[in-house]
Amino acid sequence: MLFKRKHLDYALAGLLLLLPAVILRSSLREPVNQNGFDRAVLRISSPLQAAASWVVGGLGGLFTDYVWLVNVEDENDELRATNLRLREELGQLRGAAEDLAVLEELVDLKRSTQAETAAAHIIASSINSHFRVNRVRIDRGDAAVEVGMPVISAEGLVGRILHSYGTHSDVLLVSDPQSSVDVVIEETGGRGLLRGVASDDAYFCEIEYLEQGKTVRVGDKVKTSGLGKHFPEGLLVGEIASVDSARHGLYQKVTVKPAVDFSSLDTVLILLAPPPPSDPTRAQNSKSKAAHGVEPF
Amino acid sequence: MRLAAQIVVAYFLLLLLSAVWRLFPWSELVPDIAVLIAAYLGLTAREQAAPSVASAVLIGYLADLLFGTPTGLIALISGLTCTACHLIQGRLLVRGSMFTTVFSGLIALAAGLFTILVRSFAGLLPPGWGSELGTLALSVVITALLGPIIFRTCRFVDSRFARTRRERDAAASGMIG
Repeated sequence: MLFKRKHLDYALAGLLLLLPAVILRSSLREPVNQNGFDRAVLRISSPLQAAASWVVGGLGGLFTDYVWLVNVEDENDELRATNLRLREELGQLRGAAEDLAVLEELVDLKRSTQAETAAAHIIASSINSHFRVNRVRIDRGDAAVEVGMPVISAEGLVGRILHSYGTHSDVLLVSDPQSSVDVVIEETGGRGLLRGVASDDAYFCEIEYLEQGKTVRVGDKVKTSGLGKHFPEGLLVGEIASVDSARHGLYQKVTVKPAVDFSSLDTVLILLAPPPPSDPTRAQNSKSKAAHGVEPF
Repeated sequence: MRLAAQIVVAYFLLLLLSAVWRLFPWSELVPDIAVLIAAYLGLTAREQAAPSVASAVLIGYLADLLFGTPTGLIALISGLTCTACHLIQGRLLVRGSMFTTVFSGLIALAAGLFTILVRSFAGLLPPGWGSELGTLALSVVITALLGPIIFRTCRFVDSRFARTRRERDAAASGMIG
């Protein structure tokens, strides 16, 4: 009975397989033919398909937009990072170019200075909200640097070493009231003592002891005289900014604007030893005698 | 009841597939879901094969209508697949994702080859076979990848219609047969 039932089952399955074969044969011959069942299924399915397509299409669009936006966000992040990196590189290159320009000036100065020098960077300055900065700190203070040594830049005289401690030194600028430099006016040969002026809005100096008879004009160059052994001769200090000859007394009042812009000073040279003497007979003594300003000021 | 539920679930799966598959970039590679469900029905047919074959033929026929293939093509393939799987069900236990994937790939390969055979008999095969075989290979891969999901769905439906707890656990773990 069971055997018979199984055969009947297989026969029925075979018949069921014949049915699609016949339909397929018919369909291949007449593809457009549709029976009632086909039409009913399609009539029911079409709105469902449309709804599913609309929902999934909308979700798909959202998904696509989201994925696209994620990609855009990634791209934006990458571009921002690239932009930042390029800006940093540009800043570094600009800084390097500025450093290079400063170094070129320094090299030129070093070549033109016939004396032993040591380069130093300005690392700090005295900060006071009520007074101009008249002292700066440099990153040189080893054994070679001594108190009183002249400090110069490409523009001219900066000042002298005030303190030296460890690997750093303080430089007293020529505009400091404590500073005094023996100077000569290049055009007229008039001599005097340059002192800093405590001004709260500008770097200025005054020439003391300039005799009334010496003609001085605004714009005349002021250079070191070399007297007093503190500064070598011929270093540019500044130029005459104003002249007051009407004062009573023996001396004129002359204001000097320093040649160096102390507010933007970055690199300086310390004159470790005097330049070789111009006298050829003293050439053998040219190197490294006592530095300028070995005595405290 | 179980078979009716499988047919309804298959119908909605096919409906969803026919509606959304075109949205994907790989829309030309359609997985043979109907054939996979037919294979499952053949593997899980109880004493009688005819109800499962009838269900498989009906699911295939619905696939023909929804996918636009010549009516009877997927129905015939589904029926044959169901019968073949019923014949080997005593010797084969399809369990585990890896084996289900491989099994689904083999089913898809057989179905694809049969389709190519039918198309060649009907004179519908294009002259170049290379692209057909390439499409077949990719279709096999995508069907194989979807196989475990389809089988799990079918098992879930079976477990919902199980008469006892033991049957439900067996259906959920793929032990029904």
